[in-house]
Amino acid sequence: MTDLTDLTLHQAAASLRAGEVSSRELTEACLDRLAAVDPRLRSFLSVTADLARTAAEAADRQLAAWRRGTTTAGQSPSPLLGVPLAIKDVLCLRGTVTTAGSRILEGFVAPYSATAVERLLVAGAVILGKTNCDEFAMGSSTENSGYDVTHNPWDLARVPGGSSGGSAAAVAARLTFGALGSDTGGSIRQPAAYCGLAGLKTSYGRVSRYGLIAYGSSLDSIGPLARSVADLAALFSATAGHDPRDATSLPAPVPPVDLAAADVTGLRVGVPKEYFVAGIQPEVEAAVRAAVVRLAELGAQVVEISLPHTEYALPVYYLIAPAEASANLARFDGVRYGPGITAAEAGHNGGTSAAPLWARYEATRGTGFGPEVKRRIMLGTYALSAGYYDAYYGQAQKVRTLIRRDFDLAFQQVDVIACPVAPTTAFRIGEKTDDPLAMYLEDIFTLPASLAGICGLSVPCGFDAQGLPIGVQLLGPALGEDRLLRVGHAYEQATDWHTRRPPL
Amino acid sequence: MSAIAYEPVVGLEIHIQLNTQSKVFCACPADSWGAPPNTHICPVCTGQPGALPVLNRAVVEKAVLLAAAVHCQEIQARSFFDRKNYFYPDLPKGYQITQYDQPIGRRGWFEVPLPDGQTRRLTIHKMHMEEDAGKTKNDPARGARLIDMNRCGVPLIEMVTAPGLRSAGEAAQFLIRLRQLLRWLDVSDANMERAHLRCDANVSIRAAGTTGLNPKTEIKNVNSIEAVRDAIETELGRQAREVSAGRRVEAWTLEWDEDSQTLHKMRSKETEADYRYFREPDLLPVEVADAWREAILQRLPELPLERRARFIEAYRLPAYDATILTEERSLSDYFEAASAAFGGEPKIIANWVQNEILRLTKEQNSPAGGLAFTAAHLAELVGLVEDKVITRQTAVGLISQVAESGRAPRALVEAQGLAQISSDDALRALAREVIAESPEQVQAYRAKPALLNWFVGQVMRKSKGKANAPLAEKILTDLLAE
Repeated sequence: MTDLTDLTLHQAAASLRAGEVSSRELTEACLDRLAAVDPRLRSFLSVTADLARTAAEAADRQLAAWRRGTTTAGQSPSPLLGVPLAIKDVLCLRGTVTTAGSRILEGFVAPYSATAVERLLVAGAVILGKTNCDEFAMGSSTENSGYDVTHNPWDLARVPGGSSGGSAAAVAARLTFGALGSDTGGSIRQPAAYCGLAGLKTSYGRVSRYGLIAYGSSLDSIGPLARSVADLAALFSATAGHDPRDATSLPAPVPPVDLAAADVTGLRVGVPKEYFVAGIQPEVEAAVRAAVVRLAELGAQVVEISLPHTEYALPVYYLIAPAEASANLARFDGVRYGPGITAAEAGHNGGTSAAPLWARYEATRGTGFGPEVKRRIMLGTYALSAGYYDAYYGQAQKVRTLIRRDFDLAFQQVDVIACPVAPTTAFRIGEKTDDPLAMYLEDIFTLPASLAGICGLSVPCGFDAQGLPIGVQLLGPALGEDRLLRVGHAYEQATDWHTRRPPL
Repeated sequence: MSAIAYEPVVGLEIHIQLNTQSKVFCACPADSWGAPPNTHICPVCTGQPGALPVLNRAVVEKAVLLAAAVHCQEIQARSFFDRKNYFYPDLPKGYQITQYDQPIGRRGWFEVPLPDGQTRRLTIHKMHMEEDAGKTKNDPARGARLIDMNRCGVPLIEMVTAPGLRSAGEAAQFLIRLRQLLRWLDVSDANMERAHLRCDANVSIRAAGTTGLNPKTEIKNVNSIEAVRDAIETELGRQAREVSAGRRVEAWTLEWDEDSQTLHKMRSKETEADYRYFREPDLLPVEVADAWREAILQRLPELPLERRARFIEAYRLPAYDATILTEERSLSDYFEAASAAFGGEPKIIANWVQNEILRLTKEQNSPAGGLAFTAAHLAELVGLVEDKVITRQTAVGLISQVAESGRAPRALVEAQGLAQISSDDALRALAREVIAESPEQVQAYRAKPALLNWFVGQVMRKSKGKANAPLAEKILTDLLAE
């Protein structure tokens, strides 16, 4: 028998329902593997073993009742019932430490659960713990975490991508059956590609942001990472849908994703020429183009398209996201939560005059935030300042509208867009830490969809000469997740890239 | 040589605390008066990581109502919330959610009746919705700042007027009338002692007859109508002295010290913070579609000055009475209801309302509409007096009994035999008794006919107030002449 942790989420769910395995056994298998592997991987910031075991036992009781046919409703249980999952540490889980990878939230115990997390709990999922990420989700390698650098399970010397690198590494290394991440500019799609996983960036507003520690509020979206598109669909269905606690959450219903109907015959696939540019790793381009050919062989109709404002996505993103972040991160002042540094500790002798207050702010934020966070706060503050607003933030909003229009026009022509997720495969730890601009360029293919608020799926489509995974990005219009998942599933059925496992 | 005459130029920025049940972006109770610190708080209003605001529709409804009442030419079908960024310990998110360049209401006006009979029409530039911050208090003994976040997220409307007020007194009159309107519309309790109404005054002067605007000072922290008047008066005097001495008025921000009745300079305007406003991405634009606006404006009542004019016209009330009766909406509703039920001369009801009902509202600290003694009770009671069934004195005494028992005045009169004694025989018998018991006064009466009133009083006393006084007087005159 294969190792329990090698099962996909769907296989695990099927075994649970069949009574072949208990949630407690799955949970213990994950916790054991976590204990064995994570010291090298460093994908988890905290492990909630007690909570997980309690949830697993509750799930086993529910499953037993269902098998005996004594549940009142008699319906099939959620595919997530009893399935161990991990949560990116930017999502609040009531009663557990939630840090967003930042020292400024060291020891912060969330007083409530994020809506997306709450929905997993309601579905009966077992939460193993909180995964590492770039601090406040700002980064593309998870090297910006205030706690640890997470390693890529395919090559421990390399980054898992970011910012949801902890989630990606944990899923790829079989420590969990799936995980939630967040994607503001590519933070689910890029680590999924780097770790050989399926990852879904949901449309803006599709999954409630309530309880997601905000980075760029008009861009932040929550989505799953898993070892198959079918697994993503289960996680997506459980977490998506309107939430009255998030004013920007979309009121649209979430129809069930019918993967049995996955057929790409007649599907119009757009290939944007702007996404195949100089600087892209040749193997990445080749693998993505091959994936498009595979879709055509399956019956899709391939159309070259243009998204003319693509080149502006990077500067626009690096004005809008930091501007919003500069305000979103203002609340971390050490007054109500986090290790606030007192005026005395900051070298002042107390009192209540203004100066010690500012010394306290400066000490708390100066030591609590890492360099990338500070860089983005400064960028954003500058972009919003009097006299600069029109030239930077205001202008960026206008160009954002043009980028959004690019996609609107494109989706009049095609059903989905296929393109690379990132220009390269996973790079070496430390390779880009001294060059923020090079790091920002990692996101050039994921930023436009974020700015447009549409949905995007990353699916494994090959490996480079060093055995590192490559992902193809499928983009769909807002609320088009079910379409993307069906196309991704059809592609997966015709390929075996997703079945390969890292050597770890 | 006479001094140059200066004209005061005063504009106000008023923060109005709305009296909604819950806060503007969360479900916590909005009113925390008397509540222990940090008891009306939640993840949203304390800015916990990940928490998001959701707009309370009642705030928009009250804002639209007020915008319509101050005749805003633009009640925007689409307005926006923005973030105003600054650090302060009682501002949990590090920004205040407010409306900046696209507020809910613009270009309104408000008429202020002045004591000299004139009316000042003051332009309202704009009014916007926003959230309040918490309260910070220093505790020197512990070397600590104490923060109470109950007030965080309490809904406010900020109203900005044109510099159209021409004296400190006009500013005070405006606030009195605004307070009246806010209560009238039930958008705010408008209690200045509880900071429901907070006022900043922008003050400048110019040579009388000129129209330009000179540098202004902004006076903060003026939180009673008297303080507004005193602070503006003080500042106008200072500016006049500065200008007379050939100095310029600097654009300072001043703080009014209530205790010492003096102004302190807080800062120069140049050092003001850059708030880096931008659209609040966590909230959608505020859409007030026609249907919703119509539904809200269904609740827009007749306004105080309109009602006052109608009272003078339709009820033929003296202007003074109409003013008193329209001070407060509940009282004016009470008057109208009682007047309609009574059906007789409205002035009679107006008198009763101004005397007895106004007294009751003060004693019971209740609006007229909340009194157990209802407008219908008053109409019936006054009817009994007018029909000479009971005396006025009996009627006044009955008010509290009606309120306590809930029984109608006529029923009480019948049950307790309180009807006025108007029978000639009964009154004559009482008058005889009094005369028989008072030989000295009878003697004195011959020289001093004014003593007749004393005899009437004795008859009233013996009848426990029920005697028909004019009739008793007539009988006594007859008997004493015998």
